Amino acid sequence: MNKIWFVMVVGSICFMLWVDPSSVLNEMIDASSEALSLCIELCAVYAVWMGVLELVEASGIGNKLARLLHPLIKKLFKIDDSETEKMIALNMSANMLGLGNAATPMGINAMKRLDDGSGTATPAMIMLIVINATSIQLLPSTVIGLRATAGSETPADIILPTLIATACTCTLGILLVKLCNGLYAKIKKKGAKK
Amino acid sequence: MSAYILPIIFIALFCYSKYKKVNTYDTFVKGAKKAIPLVVDIFPYIAAIMLAVALLRASGITTLLADALSPIFNALGIPTELIELVLLRPFTGSGSYALLNDVLVQYGADSYISRCACVILGCSETIFYVTTVYISQTKVKKLLYAIPIALVCAVFGSVIACLLCKVI
Repeated sequence: MNKIWFVMVVGSICFMLWVDPSSVLNEMIDASSEALSLCIELCAVYAVWMGVLELVEASGIGNKLARLLHPLIKKLFKIDDSETEKMIALNMSANMLGLGNAATPMGINAMKRLDDGSGTATPAMIMLIVINATSIQLLPSTVIGLRATAGSETPADIILPTLIATACTCTLGILLVKLCNGLYAKIKKKGAKK
Repeated sequence: MSAYILPIIFIALFCYSKYKKVNTYDTFVKGAKKAIPLVVDIFPYIAAIMLAVALLRASGITTLLADALSPIFNALGIPTELIELVLLRPFTGSGSYALLNDVLVQYGADSYISRCACVILGCSETIFYVTTVYISQTKVKKLLYAIPIALVCAVFGSVIACLLCKVI
């Protein structure tokens, strides 16, 4: 992340020396204030969802959901901690409903619990990142809404292709992570032997 | 139809909680209280990534990149008009929705280009944003192969999206 960010920022600023040097600081402050208003909005969204999440937990639905998704999570993450499993189950369910923002607090929580403090991402963390980044989504509601506003006659006819595409990317993501995790474990083992 | 899903889930959840003798009000407040510290914690990360994206777009690098990469993307079946969308999607949610809106208005909501754009957005996520926010509360510095895999999947998704829109 450090490298990517450095390249993006320094590269862009160098470029802007030609285009429009006076607007560099303005752009930065605009972006930051945009981030602030996004955060205020997120705060409201999170308050609702974290309130609901607390209810899901307190009523025991969280545990039920985790038990339901247990075989899947067990296979994907290879973890043995019911609390983390519950967080991942809720995170995945929210993602499937297209509630990315609701999924975030649970995702962050799950990440915290998966972290082993070594500074390197664990295989389970990578799996969670990739699953969230490829996002199985059953209802692309925002996109459909935008399309309807733009005057589409059949705004919902993108649901089927979206479902197929999202299933493909998610499957590919999971397979690649499994493959890389396996390779990485092997390389690490070899390194340890030497 | 889909409009009913969430309200019904909420009704079911609240009633079930009541049935389980949970104090719904107290519990909700307890959870909602955690929202503010969480947002305060993730704000700097969001600001950093949005700043980088804003600079990238303002400098015109994205359009240059889109031009430079168009032969590759065209070979993969992604139309030139959508390259900027594919490039920006991993970084910004609001930005890519704004772009999608431009595409919808410019090419008509039911055109091939627009449908591709919709599917591309629907099957992808803001990879860098999600990653930054998710690991922001951990000690992780090395992500290994997480981001490359996610990006490969995003490109793969875009290719499939353009292909599917031709068929369906």
